[in-house]
Amino acid sequence: MRGIFKKFQDTVFGAPPASKDDAKQRLKVLLIHDQVALTPAQLDAMREEIMDVISRYVEVDDNGVEFRLSREDGAISLVSNVPVRRVTARASA
Amino acid sequence: MSQCIVVTSGKGGVGKTTTSANLGAGLALAGNRVAVVDADIGLRNLDVILGLENRIVYDLVQVVEGECRLKQALIRDKRVEGLFLLPAAQTRDKNAVSPDDMRRLVGELKEEFDYVIIDCPAGIEQGFKNSIAGADRALIVTTPEVSAIRDADRIIGMVEAHDLPEPELIINRYRAGMVERGDMMNKEDILEILAIPLIGMVPDHEDVIISANRGQPAVFDENSVVGQAYRRITDRVVGHEVPFPSFETPTGMWATMKRWMGLAPMREVV
Ligand SMILES: Nc1ncnc2c1ncn2[C@@H]1O[C@H](COP(=O)(O)OP(=O)(O)O)[C@@H](O)[C@H]1O
Ligand SMILES: [Mg+2]
Repeated sequence: MRGIFKKFQDTVFGAPPASKDDAKQRLKVLLIHDQVALTPAQLDAMREEIMDVISRYVEVDDNGVEFRLSREDGAISLVSNVPVRRVTARASA
Repeated sequence: MSQCIVVTSGKGGVGKTTTSANLGAGLALAGNRVAVVDADIGLRNLDVILGLENRIVYDLVQVVEGECRLKQALIRDKRVEGLFLLPAAQTRDKNAVSPDDMRRLVGELKEEFDYVIIDCPAGIEQGFKNSIAGADRALIVTTPEVSAIRDADRIIGMVEAHDLPEPELIINRYRAGMVERGDMMNKEDILEILAIPLIGMVPDHEDVIISANRGQPAVFDENSVVGQAYRRITDRVVGHEVPFPSFETPTGMWATMKRWMGLAPMREVV
């Protein structure tokens, strides 16, 4: 009876988020790190070096930078979005 | 053309031995000559699941070391025409056999049998390398859990590195009720992550334990839902197109009420 009442409550007041979404989200991150043999520190270093190179050419909005690994159909890709403040090349380039 | 199929997973306890026994028996029921090989040296189990443990005289290691002939070590299953077991050694360890030994052994078995099924031990080391050495095809068994899927992914990578065709997936211990409540990853979730073709789904069911108690693979029982799942897997393994039917919808009071109220589909297609 308690089970049924709880499910009734969940239906009326909104159920807690399903645990399978946690499982799936955690797995996605886990599998990327299993496949990419880089430590978080190495990933940070890579990100910094890449940003250094980009900043030599354009002015980057540091706050909006997105830089992450993603996995689609078993293949890893590096997804990055770098908002640019000014497109004109810098004098130092 | 004979074929050697390895049943593997990475993680232990997900259903490799259950699958090897049922697939082997299923293929024999369908009229094939089948050898099931227990490659879990030191921890043999397949003999017990098949109910053949009292008939073991020689084992795989003795064959490899030339102590007996292959034919002497093969145990014929009297319940079905064409089914044979090559048991693992119980008192030796995995290093008693090399991948080359296995390749030779499988080659010899393929001269006699239509299908050679290798029950792979857990792990990614010697036992796995031995099991995969002579294989033409790999079936990956997983359960809908984070740790099992993670290990399956590792193994899929290793299978692909061994020049085998793309492995096929069996999702074992599926619970339709938990999937319906969102507490278990469904077929699509798992396939999205592992990205290999699905060849079967087996419900989490007490029949597996009952058939293990009896040493009688569920596939022999036409009325068992587990047996039926393995019959469909067998059909797909030999190349038939078999649609994935829905497992029984949960029959609890709440599930029934939800269906009346239109909150859940009448049948969940798996
Ligand atoms: N579909 C299932 N439903 C219920 N129990 C299962 C199912 N598949 C496997 N089991 C149980 O899980 C345990 C491990 O199964 P087994 O086939 O020996 O796995 P593995 O060979 O991968 O270690 C056994 O006790 C078995 O009874
Ligand atoms: Mg086993």
